[in-house]
Amino acid sequence: MMIVTFFRATKFAFQNFWRNFWLSIVTIFILTLTLVSVSLLSAVNLLANQAITVVKEKVNIDVFFSSAAQAEQMLAVRAFVEQMPEAKQVEYVSATEALERFKKEHVADLDILASLAELEENPLPASLVIQAYELDQYQTIIDKLRASSFADILTTQDFDDNRSVIQRISILSQRVTQIGLVLSFIFATISLLMVFNTIRITIYTHREELNIMKLVGATNWFIRTPFFLEGILYAMIASIVTMAFLYPTFVFVSPYIQAFFQGYSFDFIQFLELHFWKIFALQIGLSLVLSVLSSMIAITRYLRV
Amino acid sequence: MIRFENVSKIYSNNVVALNNVNLHIQPGEFVSIVGQSGMGKTTLAKLIIAEERPTKGKVIIGGWDITRIRHHEIPVLRRQIGVVYQDFKLLPRKTVFENIAFALEVCGASGARIRKIIPQVLKIVGLEDKSRFFPRQLSGGQQQRVVIARSLIHRPKIILADEPTGNLDSINAQEIIHLLVKINTFGTTVVLVTHNHDIVNMLRKRVITMDHGMIISDQQSGKYIL
Repeated sequence: MMIVTFFRATKFAFQNFWRNFWLSIVTIFILTLTLVSVSLLSAVNLLANQAITVVKEKVNIDVFFSSAAQAEQMLAVRAFVEQMPEAKQVEYVSATEALERFKKEHVADLDILASLAELEENPLPASLVIQAYELDQYQTIIDKLRASSFADILTTQDFDDNRSVIQRISILSQRVTQIGLVLSFIFATISLLMVFNTIRITIYTHREELNIMKLVGATNWFIRTPFFLEGILYAMIASIVTMAFLYPTFVFVSPYIQAFFQGYSFDFIQFLELHFWKIFALQIGLSLVLSVLSSMIAITRYLRV
Repeated sequence: MIRFENVSKIYSNNVVALNNVNLHIQPGEFVSIVGQSGMGKTTLAKLIIAEERPTKGKVIIGGWDITRIRHHEIPVLRRQIGVVYQDFKLLPRKTVFENIAFALEVCGASGARIRKIIPQVLKIVGLEDKSRFFPRQLSGGQQQRVVIARSLIHRPKIILADEPTGNLDSINAQEIIHLLVKINTFGTTVVLVTHNHDIVNMLRKRVITMDHGMIISDQQSGKYIL
């Protein structure tokens, strides 16, 4: 009997959907807009965070040793930096290595290579390449080095320009998030009202049938269920439409995103494919919350049983 | 079968619809409740099917005190009471068969049971050959008989008919009343709410007369006295 009842409730839900076809379409459209705006917002957030991580990875400071520095001193400095809690990674680059790297980087620039050959000595100093855990720790590391007994064999630079790049990206991503939140909120409110109104109209157009249902002793559960199912149907279709729209869009723009992250281990499409079902489930979840919430309000408000 | 104990119903705007009504209807009785419009007849009917709750007093149906009936228990009550209204309440886009089937469907009856019951109730009301007709293709009397057929699907112990003849001419009205009498002879309690003198006088059954929310007369084999 439960199965028969559930089957009939589903049938009524589909009937309601078809008999108010255009209203259903508009409701789904608005729900879809909400989902699209929330998804785009999340995508932009994800990309901005990724960009910040990438730029952060790029940031490091070079500490150069003066030519007077001895090998033991250099190792002592390295050990000194390594035991700082702020230091994530310390790399020692000897003068010879530095020269090799420099030559490699400028292999196409014949003028530079020629002028290097002119010099009798290696003009490049040995250095330590230091990476900190957080951006604001670089200054601390520099200050500690300057205050140490090694100060006279070191040439330190102040923390470089990458900082302002990171700040700009953070601010931009914050703005995007704020605008996205406002937009999502507006769309979410509109979808709540839309689903509410659609269910209300369905209840109104079916008032005769609902009256008869009550008269012959249909359970409240049975009378209400079709309207809940209708709301769930809207949510499911809206999620599918959203995915069908967003996935190709992301595939289309991904080469541009890829170009931005060139050389870094971040593949947007791979990320999407990896998390497809999670994203889909989140969208269904969000649209279900919206539409079930508003159909519930409409049902308790207009369906007195 | 139906018992009202000191029942009063006062609506929110201080309109007194029922004033200290005491009433006892035995199983298998045929009772007419008469009175002019606005004298509390319909309120009394609504209290029986728990569409309204009494302000004071007790309503007991078949030994079940429904005065403070819970929401989820109302469907159980309504399956024991067949209701017939003046304005039929049939769905215009469904055939006679579908109209009755709808009432069974929404209560969770199986397809096999629906196919078995509907011919039975249509036979009782004499519409076996009309099951594929739409309500608009039937006369008022026939439509009312469809409604009665629908009210019989749960084999109710009580049939509550609120002005069932209000929209019918006298011949059709007589047919409907004969049908209700026939159902009554099967043992179903019938409560007929009406203000039709001829019918009440013809029936010669128990008549309860209401005036301003009170019972002013209760006669076994009575007549319309107002």
